[in-house]
Amino acid sequence: MITIEHLKKTFKKNKVEAVKDVSLEVNNGEIFALLGPNGAGKTTTMRMLSSLLIPTDGKIFYDSVPLEQDTVSIRKRIAFLTNEIRLDGQFTPDELADYYGRLYEMKPEDIKKNKKELFDYFGITEFSNRRYETFSTGMKQKTSIAICLLHDPDTIIFDEPTNGLDILTQRLIEQYILKLREEGKCIIISTHILDLVGRLADRVGVIVDGKSVYCGKVEDMASSQGVETIDEAFIKLYEENHEESAIVKK
Amino acid sequence: MKGTGLIFGHEMKKILKEKSILFGFIVLPILALLFTVMLSMAKPASDSVSSYNMYFFGVSVDSISIAQMNEKDIYIVSIDENPEDFMKSENFHDEDVLVDYSDPMDVKIYYHESNDISNYLKSSADSFVRETYSEIYKGFYPKISFRNVITRDIRPKEEVNRVIAMLLPYMLILPLTANIANFAGDTIAGDKERGTFYQALLTPVPPLSLIMGKIFAVSLISLASSAIYISCDVLGSRICEALNVQDAFGFAGVHVPPHQFLLILLYAILLCYLFSNLGVLISLFCKDTSHAQIAQIPVTLLCTMAAMLSMFRFGVSPSVHYLIPVYNVCIIFQDILNARVKTTNMLLVAVSFIVLSVAVLIVTLLSYKSEKVRG
Repeated sequence: MITIEHLKKTFKKNKVEAVKDVSLEVNNGEIFALLGPNGAGKTTTMRMLSSLLIPTDGKIFYDSVPLEQDTVSIRKRIAFLTNEIRLDGQFTPDELADYYGRLYEMKPEDIKKNKKELFDYFGITEFSNRRYETFSTGMKQKTSIAICLLHDPDTIIFDEPTNGLDILTQRLIEQYILKLREEGKCIIISTHILDLVGRLADRVGVIVDGKSVYCGKVEDMASSQGVETIDEAFIKLYEENHEESAIVKK
Repeated sequence: MKGTGLIFGHEMKKILKEKSILFGFIVLPILALLFTVMLSMAKPASDSVSSYNMYFFGVSVDSISIAQMNEKDIYIVSIDENPEDFMKSENFHDEDVLVDYSDPMDVKIYYHESNDISNYLKSSADSFVRETYSEIYKGFYPKISFRNVITRDIRPKEEVNRVIAMLLPYMLILPLTANIANFAGDTIAGDKERGTFYQALLTPVPPLSLIMGKIFAVSLISLASSAIYISCDVLGSRICEALNVQDAFGFAGVHVPPHQFLLILLYAILLCYLFSNLGVLISLFCKDTSHAQIAQIPVTLLCTMAAMLSMFRFGVSPSVHYLIPVYNVCIIFQDILNARVKTTNMLLVAVSFIVLSVAVLIVTLLSYKSEKVRG
């Protein structure tokens, strides 16, 4: 379970306040979608959750343990995947799986077992001895996901998991995310594709201008805003909370 | 240092899987060696003497020209003066050889190993001594089928190593800095460019292990590549020697005993580690490999300059010079090869390097954790 309390991030370099106040809670066996327009602070929040960035203020807890207290152990339990993440192109998926498995201190038999399961699911097995750099975008993304999940993490953080992928690969990844939920994993997805939220998420959090403005069940989102659809609810939340919009309204 | 070995192995494999790198840093030096040997063969040796002389002591020969080389006569000349004294006189040039016949069954040939002409005359004298054996002495010693011929390089050992001591820092630092600029530039900046940087950051491997793994890989491959360059030079000298052509490499006759070699290797490793760490530090702040390689140019230039300055050093340097980074390694290399190294100076260099390396490592670790690098 992840608990975020009043998370804040100001970049020293350009003094940009990327995240101002984000609080939310994600339970095990749940898919939580983090929604927000471009530049709202979703990616920065995700990076803080995955320990890539240190928050300026606020707390992140993994099963009540503060992230900064035991970062190394927590990293063994989480997986973070974004479109920016790539793997070394000179290596084959087989070599990469062995390498990352050992970095996560996995036993050789566990590496072998998990590798087989993930490679079979994502259709990588027959290409497992080909260099990663020779793969198509979809194949690269599938390999990246397989490698990220190799160490059987409890918490999975996906930043735009299906961006730029064909419909078949999207469907494959979505089905795997649902499978992970069934296994009781804690999953956070950052996206701006509202259809994906409707199909996958149990609960949703909306961030506007670095602040969390909504956190609740997907099916309650529209009714809580007095509108018909998630899309309308999202737009309403954005208009009500976006500073520039507020000025225009006045 | 959990994970350092894994990161090191992965980085090494990554470098070795790149065929262009293997070509540039391993095959190219070998090609350069062949090319230089060919040039040496094509280029005649230059010298300032009017003729070359093959002096004989203990046997009477007529002073005649027996052959020509580089359009100059090769004379055989008898001398009465003691060979040791004669070789110190102005009459004996670097190009000449002296054949000591005082004991006909144990002939000694004195020559200059580093001089191509002297080398050539030595081989001729050797053949001459062996061929004339049957004619002159066979009647007296019929059971002996060969004559013992001893060849001696007459340069003092410290003189033999002096030139190479002057050149070695430059010869080592130039490829080392160039290699490190290339390999270190590809570490973090390369990871950022390829998008593999975050994947490494997300693993539970402590930053120190990750950084050290990369530094060790860069150090090893750069040191190996530089060693190939120097080995090619040594080999080139030996080939030139065997072919009796001008030695373009400057290693002819160089004698480096094992303890000197080990000391040089030790300081080369220290130097390599420091350069690699600096390279990785610079690479941290660069967005891609080419940017990192450009950013390393000032370091490469400074180091090359320090190495060049050391070439013009004469005599013994004051202790404070042994605290100047890079320059101190250059002068300690010279001291080692000239067999005049002092323990205190060696310690000064080692301590200054360790202090500097630790400082650079701390800065690297702090930078690695900073949001400027991760953001």
